[in-house]
Amino acid sequence: MATSTPVRSRSGDDAPVRRRGTRARGSALSPGVWLPTAVAVVLVGFAWSAIAADQPYLLPPLSEVGAILVEDPLLFLTNAWSTLSIALLGVACGAGTAFVLALLMSEVPVLRRAIMPLAVVLNVTPVVALAPALVVAFGFGMAPKVIVTAIITFFPVLINVTTGLRSVSVPVLHVFSTLHASRMEVLLRLRVPSSLPYTLAALRVVFPLSIVGAVVAEFVAAGSSSGLGTMIRNSAATARLEYVYAAVACLATMGVLMLALITLLERRLLFWHESQQRTTS
Amino acid sequence: MSDDRIEVRGLTKTYEGGDPRRPALDGVDLDIPRRRFVSLIGPSGCGKSTLLRVIAGLEDHDTGTVTVFGSTPESMCEAKAVGLVPQTPALLPWLNVRRNVSLPARVNRRAGRGSEDPDLLLRMVDLEDAARRYPHELSGGMKQRVAIARAFGLRPDLLLMDEPFSALDEFTREALQLQLLGLWERMSTTVVFVTHSVREAVTLSDEVVVMSARPGRVHEVLPVDLPRPRDGAVVTGPLMHALEDRVRASLQSAWEVGAAPDDLVRR
Repeated sequence: MATSTPVRSRSGDDAPVRRRGTRARGSALSPGVWLPTAVAVVLVGFAWSAIAADQPYLLPPLSEVGAILVEDPLLFLTNAWSTLSIALLGVACGAGTAFVLALLMSEVPVLRRAIMPLAVVLNVTPVVALAPALVVAFGFGMAPKVIVTAIITFFPVLINVTTGLRSVSVPVLHVFSTLHASRMEVLLRLRVPSSLPYTLAALRVVFPLSIVGAVVAEFVAAGSSSGLGTMIRNSAATARLEYVYAAVACLATMGVLMLALITLLERRLLFWHESQQRTTS
Repeated sequence: MSDDRIEVRGLTKTYEGGDPRRPALDGVDLDIPRRRFVSLIGPSGCGKSTLLRVIAGLEDHDTGTVTVFGSTPESMCEAKAVGLVPQTPALLPWLNVRRNVSLPARVNRRAGRGSEDPDLLLRMVDLEDAARRYPHELSGGMKQRVAIARAFGLRPDLLLMDEPFSALDEFTREALQLQLLGLWERMSTTVVFVTHSVREAVTLSDEVVVMSARPGRVHEVLPVDLPRPRDGAVVTGPLMHALEDRVRASLQSAWEVGAAPDDLVRR
């Protein structure tokens, strides 16, 4: 349960609501939080094992999947790093470009009118269909995979950051206007920090999406020799399901770690935002 | 054009899409001498806040002139000579209290205007202990005190306040009124204060400008001849009550002047 520290000022008005960092401690250890998840995991495990025992061509035994991961962790780590590099590079290029374009569009309306329709068309285009053409153009290296991932991550960041940069409270803008703040000052001191919740919400979507993009790119880019997507494609072709699911488990772990990283960033950067505050009553 | 007063002459303002027969402001004339505390009061829609924003240079107007101590509102803002306290505190939630108060000093440094020590300002509004706290950790009254300290930070020639206490409870409101008067007397700033509260207007002001609606006009300017400082004895005395009654009567006649036929029909 979160606690509050009431402070009475000399003027009589009651203070606050909650001090920074008084987030409830130990709540994650409360059985009410972890027990339902644990029960669900155990039930899924039992169901999996039951199916695997009866129909091993549908699902491999969990013990085999675990054994493969333990026997050759380096194999999975190497391939995971390959996929992760594509995903991260793709996010850096896609989200970075989107962020810069959103900044420019917020300052130059004509640019917004020029770029936004193109961005929408790019968003509705099935990027997977572009991948073979990108392989022809850029070869079997990282480039086509990074481009596919960048395109997938571009649009959510562009839309969210554009919205965030425009979501500034009018009274605050009036205060800046009476101070005759320059456009750059309004942008850097007001619009960019105001857009942070939107930017991080976009990253929460695009980080897992980047893994999907990287894996799909590896599927499509025939001839690539590394990456969990390549491993899944090759293992499925030879019916080695335990390798397929071990790679899927690695991908899921990567996704969870990325989400955890974003959650951590949100707690650090958005401590002031409603989304990070809990009610005390 | 005088440099010792705010002069508003024949000011007319119609909002885009608004009824041109009922402008938000219509032929407003007003003089506010330097270092006076003037309240604008009137029924909803009478253009009090619009007038405030025009004086602040935040809105254009159709006809008429506005000069602030001999300059245009825009020139005053360029020189960082205008402070604004909006209805909501308008603090930056990612900055702590001290950084919020010192924000005006960090913005538009080209103006070269000196600023007060933020710690001194916080002491003046009894918030020195809250300097490192963030807006979400403050009560509504504390946030508004931070906004007031921020506005006084540049020792502005003109301070514009748009119903700054309207969201506060009565007790906090009265405490903040006293703090505001203390700061104003110390800083010798001209204050234009928009309010819906008759008591607040009379307690704080040298003059109360009563406005009428549809169209927005200055109905009457009432001097408040209460002695300063406005301590407990003054604000509970018979003269205070007489002045409040006078403002209420003026408001009533302003409302009748501006009332639309629809307003008079009981639904």
